[in-house]
Amino acid sequence: MKIEQKLKLAIAYLQDFYILCFNSIFRIFRKPLYLDDILEQMEYAGASSVFIVSVVCLFVGMALSLQLTAELSGLGLKIYTGKIVGIAVIREIGPLVTALVFIGRVGAGQTAEIGSMILGHQIDTLRVYGIDPIKKVVIPRVLASVFMLPCLTIIGDLVCLLGGYYIAVFVSHQSGSFYWSSIIQELTFQNVFSGIVKPFIFGYFISCICCYFGFITYGGAKGLRVSTTKAVVTSIVVVIAMDFVLTRILLYILGFSV
Amino acid sequence: MIVFDNVWFSYGEREVLRGISFKADFNERIAILGESGGGKTTLLKLILGLIKPDKGRIFIDEVDITELSEEELIPIRRKFSIVFQEGALFDSLPVKENVAFFMRELYKIPDEEIYLKVSQLLQRVGVADAENLMPEELSGGMHRRVAIARALSVGKTKMFLYDEPTAGLDPINSQRIISLIEELANKEGIGFIIITHIVYVAWQLCERFIFLHDGKLIFDGSKKELIKTKIPALKEFIKELLFKVTESE
Repeated sequence: MKIEQKLKLAIAYLQDFYILCFNSIFRIFRKPLYLDDILEQMEYAGASSVFIVSVVCLFVGMALSLQLTAELSGLGLKIYTGKIVGIAVIREIGPLVTALVFIGRVGAGQTAEIGSMILGHQIDTLRVYGIDPIKKVVIPRVLASVFMLPCLTIIGDLVCLLGGYYIAVFVSHQSGSFYWSSIIQELTFQNVFSGIVKPFIFGYFISCICCYFGFITYGGAKGLRVSTTKAVVTSIVVVIAMDFVLTRILLYILGFSV
Repeated sequence: MIVFDNVWFSYGEREVLRGISFKADFNERIAILGESGGGKTTLLKLILGLIKPDKGRIFIDEVDITELSEEELIPIRRKFSIVFQEGALFDSLPVKENVAFFMRELYKIPDEEIYLKVSQLLQRVGVADAENLMPEELSGGMHRRVAIARALSVGKTKMFLYDEPTAGLDPINSQRIISLIEELANKEGIGFIIITHIVYVAWQLCERFIFLHDGKLIFDGSKKELIKTKIPALKEFIKELLFKVTESE
């Protein structure tokens, strides 16, 4: 394929993606609202993901606390472990790690499920009988992701901090009450806001990207594998890049000096 | 009436349909024949407006559907009932919910009424015992029957569209599906288009045959014209049928 054709194709794909993003917001206000589907997707994206998010966040929290303790001990500053773990987890690591786990568990599932519906002509069947696949299939997944990812992030943050607590208290022999009090000191509006805004935006884009790749699936089992891989890789890159951009914007808005 | 006027369609650089033109009445029984991957299902999707042609026009009841939006296409699509290849049942729903699905979504009728109709439809297609099974527990033949029941659940339509209704089925199940399609067409008094690469299925059910080869429509005729064809590609395609027909004569 010529470069010109590739470019045209890329622009066409990007245009379709923007249309899906746009419709997934504006068609929410059109009837009917598939409440059962939304609740089902919320259960799948939220409650069913708590365990895996907790396991990953526990180990990330422990590793972070271990690294900091090792470094700060040499400088005689290990009492700051709780403070630094608190800031890092609430503002940055909690939202990012939870989003990455969410991509692997929920996003990949959304692409695979929609892709399989495309290949099995289930989406075509919906369209033939006048049911809008955006309303029936995409919006429940987008809403579930937008509302469940922040909830999972809060749980992930808490488990991360618990992991940090375990290392600080039982390995580094610091005071547990001092660890928690230094974290509580960091629960300022700026820090909490910075950490809670990101998951809403991540959830929206992860779901839109994963649904989009599901919709453009073709070519049987191999095609499904390709679209799922593309969805996961694209979501990871977008989330990490967006994390940087959001961090810069939030630091500016919230008045942090860099 | 369905009218295709010089329709072209390609997937990327691969041209699937090249200048297809034909007319079809809703009460006809038409078979669209051709090799696998020859654009038969694409043609069906074009009739329903699920994809847009690259060139050419498609008219349904004199309405040009090529430029219509999804919303404008709804009344056009309601003229048809479709049974996709392998049924296209919703994996996450049991059989009775699959059949109830469109009644619930489109008509908002009470659950008791819906389930009564579901039982009647499943009985009509001969899978009354399967209503609580999940799609993965069904055999290929049962899949198609449930899909037909679901297609019937949306109410009166002008034409049935069947995409490879017997593909992958054993001869007994194939024959059951053929009988069911024929019985429905006779009782409902509506025509159908059947997409198939199995010539004998088409021969048993249809009066008119369209043959696609290399993206082009190279034959459009009756049973008589089909068996007397001089087109080499079509002769090769139907040689098994010719053998059966001459043998029975």
